[in-house]
Amino acid sequence: MTVEVVGNVIHLRGVCAAEDAEALLSRLQAAPQAEIDVTACRHLHGAVVQVLLAFRPNVRGMAEDIFLRDWVIPNLAAHR
Amino acid sequence: MDELLEQFLIEGPEQVQHAGEALLALEGRPDDAALVDQAFRAIHTLKGSVGLFDLPAMGQVLHVAEDLLGAWRDGRRALSRGAVDALIAATGQTERWLGVLAATGGGLPADADAVAADLVSRLNRALDGDAPPSAPIQATDIDTAWIEALFRDRDLAPARHPRVTALRYVPDAGCYFRGDDPVAFARAVPDLLALRITRRDVAAPVAADAYDPYACDLVVELLSAAAPEVVKGPFRFVPDQIQLLSWSPPPSPSAPVPPPALAEGPRSLRVEASRIDALAQLVDELVVAKNALSDLAGQMADGLAPQAAAQILGDRQAALDRLVARLHRTVMGIRLVPILPLLRRFPRVVRETATALGKEVDLAVDGQDVQVDKAIVEGLFEPLTHLLRNAVDHGIEPAAERAAAGKPARALISLVARREGDHVVIDVADDGRGMDPVRIRRAAAARGLLPDRMLDALADDQVLDLVFRPGFSTAEAVTDLSGRGVGMDAVRAAVGRLGGSVGISSASGQGTTVRLVLPLNLVLTKVMIVTVAGERYGIPMDGIVETARVDPDRVFPIRAGRAFVLRDTAVPLLSLAALLGLPEEARADGGPCRAVVARMGGELVAVEVGAFVGRRDVVLRPLTGLLSAMPGVLGTTLLGDGHVLMILDVPGLIAAAPSDTAPVGQGAP
Repeated sequence: MTVEVVGNVIHLRGVCAAEDAEALLSRLQAAPQAEIDVTACRHLHGAVVQVLLAFRPNVRGMAEDIFLRDWVIPNLAAHR
Repeated sequence: MDELLEQFLIEGPEQVQHAGEALLALEGRPDDAALVDQAFRAIHTLKGSVGLFDLPAMGQVLHVAEDLLGAWRDGRRALSRGAVDALIAATGQTERWLGVLAATGGGLPADADAVAADLVSRLNRALDGDAPPSAPIQATDIDTAWIEALFRDRDLAPARHPRVTALRYVPDAGCYFRGDDPVAFARAVPDLLALRITRRDVAAPVAADAYDPYACDLVVELLSAAAPEVVKGPFRFVPDQIQLLSWSPPPSPSAPVPPPALAEGPRSLRVEASRIDALAQLVDELVVAKNALSDLAGQMADGLAPQAAAQILGDRQAALDRLVARLHRTVMGIRLVPILPLLRRFPRVVRETATALGKEVDLAVDGQDVQVDKAIVEGLFEPLTHLLRNAVDHGIEPAAERAAAGKPARALISLVARREGDHVVIDVADDGRGMDPVRIRRAAAARGLLPDRMLDALADDQVLDLVFRPGFSTAEAVTDLSGRGVGMDAVRAAVGRLGGSVGISSASGQGTTVRLVLPLNLVLTKVMIVTVAGERYGIPMDGIVETARVDPDRVFPIRAGRAFVLRDTAVPLLSLAALLGLPEEARADGGPCRAVVARMGGELVAVEVGAFVGRRDVVLRPLTGLLSAMPGVLGTTLLGDGHVLMILDVPGLIAAAPSDTAPVGQGAP
């Protein structure tokens, strides 16, 4: 289980694969205002990234993974 | 610079402005033939002028733009949003090129041909009318604008990265089913310099209930310092979906160097004829005054009594004084230019940014009848651009969020300049999500900007001010932080150089207002002239609280320094000579100690000087070149006797002094 809901926060943990996009999508549809926490995330599959880009929830936390932290997460935060 | 080119550089931007305004207005009134006509004429004139110079790239773009506008004007083609976008992009590029021409004196950047080819193909597509207007993905020509944008966004230095590999990967919709993961591909690229992942069409609405996460709609753009063959590696199974390019940044104009055009090269100024007439009249009067002096000289040679001569001379000097004062005011007036043309350039900037971000934003501009010094108008473009981009990017919420908050989908930013006394006030206000002091506190704490104790003591509105601190916004965590912060310290610095200040206020959920307050003209500063060790220096009057003569007996030593009591407050006394590194002069025994009392932060501090000479209105010239980095000196001015007077920044001088010399100021024992 890599998509986990705690209160109003959706935690993405470990390696988020393509299957997780579906789970994330349904969580976001149920709670559009939820925040995403990526602190414990080690990889985000393209399909997951695309859901985050499409729905633009607030993404918080510094991912452990350096590639995610430095290159991918900024794309989700800064909408450029 | 060539005279023809000079003229073109004055008129070109005006034509661009005309065209841009008409195109923007066309969005609201697509049926207005007069607007099409206005844009057509402006582009036509521009094209004609460009033909006089060897600027093929610019000529091609304008030529196709004119064709497109001509087709609209004659009803051969119908207006489309994509075509208007392409035309606005073309005018924007033309304006940038004009800026480069002015800076370089006649050359376009190295990438001009590629950029032009891209624009021409976009315009041609609009002219052909059949292809969808926004299809950069199918474009076979080399589109380098995104590379440049990415390069700039990451603040990469052209000098450090003379050659980069750029790769754009547009995976097809079914790629996930084949097991491709675009993010994993990007992860495998060595020496990454920049990575941008976006939706293929950022403006496309998202159907919340029918969204298919497995129809890939990503675009991955990246820059790497590695060689193209290496960068290509991870993408070897999808060669048809990538675009690979070895790219060099253009030599300079887009590089983050301070605008060179300001300091160098001739600058021109358009002046109303009536103001020149007024000047000419003043000069006539000056000639009369000069003749009166010649008369007087003649009379004196003929034996006019010294007493009578002195009186006549006094009268004529007073008359001359008045004339010179009027002349000065008139010349200063010529430097005043309306601010509106500057403000009118921004609707296009806002629109370009908003389109790129898939947002709908209107910019309302007002600044009728406000005039400010030309130097201020020139210095404002950068900071205002930055503020407006920030507002669009971070202040304005995405359409869905606006709808949820009950706001109209089209956001409104207002840019208003007005005059208040000796100042001009410029407000940049958006109706976006506002800033959240709680989150700014958290970010400031995380970055260690202030100790927690001080942070807790700050009121909410003071917390907002933290975004102007250097180092507040360096990276990702802040960019989504309720609005602002990226490069706001640069805005404050730029406005500070113009002698102004920046403040920010925000109501959560209702928007943010950034207020710039600037002097109307840069040029006259009231200074007090003092002597230290036989040298004269100026100190700006607005930094001086009072001047004091203190009996040496009332000066008492405190630790290594000295202080005296001024109306029940102990004020530290520093020696200006020591601060300046000059030899200490011996004070005449028993004479009072003369001190200038200034405010530094919240505290009073006194600086001992040799003597007060007087007050003067001076034209302050900022230091240039190597000297500009010198702490404690605001600038110089030329005195009537030809001497150069240094104007000191007393708080800066004290701050820059090594801590052991600053408080000492050793007088004679």
